[in-house]
Amino acid sequence: MGIVDSPNGRSRKKKGRRRSKRIGFHLDMTPMVDVAFLLLTFFMLTTTFSKSNTMEINTPPEKLEVKVAENNVMTMRIAGDGMAYCSIGNDAPKRIPLYDPNDTRQLSMSTQLRTLLKQQTAANQKLVIVVKLSDKAKYKQLVDIIDELNLMKIDRFSLDDYTEQDALEVNRAV
Amino acid sequence: MSRIKAKRIGFRIDMTPMVDVAFLLLTFFMLTTKFRPPEVVQINLPSSHSVQKLPESNVLTVTVSSKNAFFMGVSSQQSREKIFNSVVKPKLTGAGMSAGAVADSLKKFRLAENFNVDRDELDKFVVMARFADPKLRPVVRADADAGFEAVNYVIKVYKKANLLTFNLITVLKKEVR
Repeated sequence: MGIVDSPNGRSRKKKGRRRSKRIGFHLDMTPMVDVAFLLLTFFMLTTTFSKSNTMEINTPPEKLEVKVAENNVMTMRIAGDGMAYCSIGNDAPKRIPLYDPNDTRQLSMSTQLRTLLKQQTAANQKLVIVVKLSDKAKYKQLVDIIDELNLMKIDRFSLDDYTEQDALEVNRAV
Repeated sequence: MSRIKAKRIGFRIDMTPMVDVAFLLLTFFMLTTKFRPPEVVQINLPSSHSVQKLPESNVLTVTVSSKNAFFMGVSSQQSREKIFNSVVKPKLTGAGMSAGAVADSLKKFRLAENFNVDRDELDKFVVMARFADPKLRPVVRADADAGFEAVNYVIKVYKKANLLTFNLITVLKKEVR
């Protein structure tokens, strides 16, 4: 592998036997290359070019009030029981499970909820979805809902506080 | 025939180019690898379909663990030092720590990726971080099992500090729809 040749062969004649050994000597580089490859594989396998994925969220400033007609607002309340309570305007909310009951991995929302979202947004172009999560809800549910809305390309949604009023509304659910 | 066979015996390949490439790759990986410091808490990130990437610099991360504890981290060491000087230092000197001990904890603080923050102190730290570097991008890094209440608290703190656009860190779901 490693062959080092002495550039001037003349010195062979002048200096005796000791020097002649130096000419064209071989250096076994196998161990060095072994180590190099070992390190290379180590670094290649441990390196993950990790850049986390993110979702961007815009929140409205506190003092800004946006007026939207009541019929154009769909409120989605997430109580702590794994149910979504969806209502349009002042109607009594509808109880819909967040995840399909036999979906143990809970990777996506229930088909019922998805079809409802699809229907409503298709029926009303001006629809604004207000998502309200109770304090008992999980962060995962928030991420899943936002993800679902992003996938459906619905960008007219906002987060709002879950109030006592909402808790009462949930009790009215059918 | 015999001539070709004779050449095959004890033949040599010049491996120099291969070794060169190997060393080149080795140096590349050695220099680009940044070992991730051990995490203070294990965070099980929620998954989503989002493919947007997080920038590496100018990030203000508030981590919410599954037990709803808060941790804060700033990516640049200068900002860390500013936060230390304005928030942590008065507290330490107030507790009767010597100057040497304070300098020692500053050294530790500068290298800490994350540090534990009490719930009622979080707003103070976030405002200070924003003051130290106005270009900071706020990020919420919460465990999938964290309560929404804790995450909402972080969002409220961001809102109060006038940070209205922020990112939630997720991992990519494998399933494609």
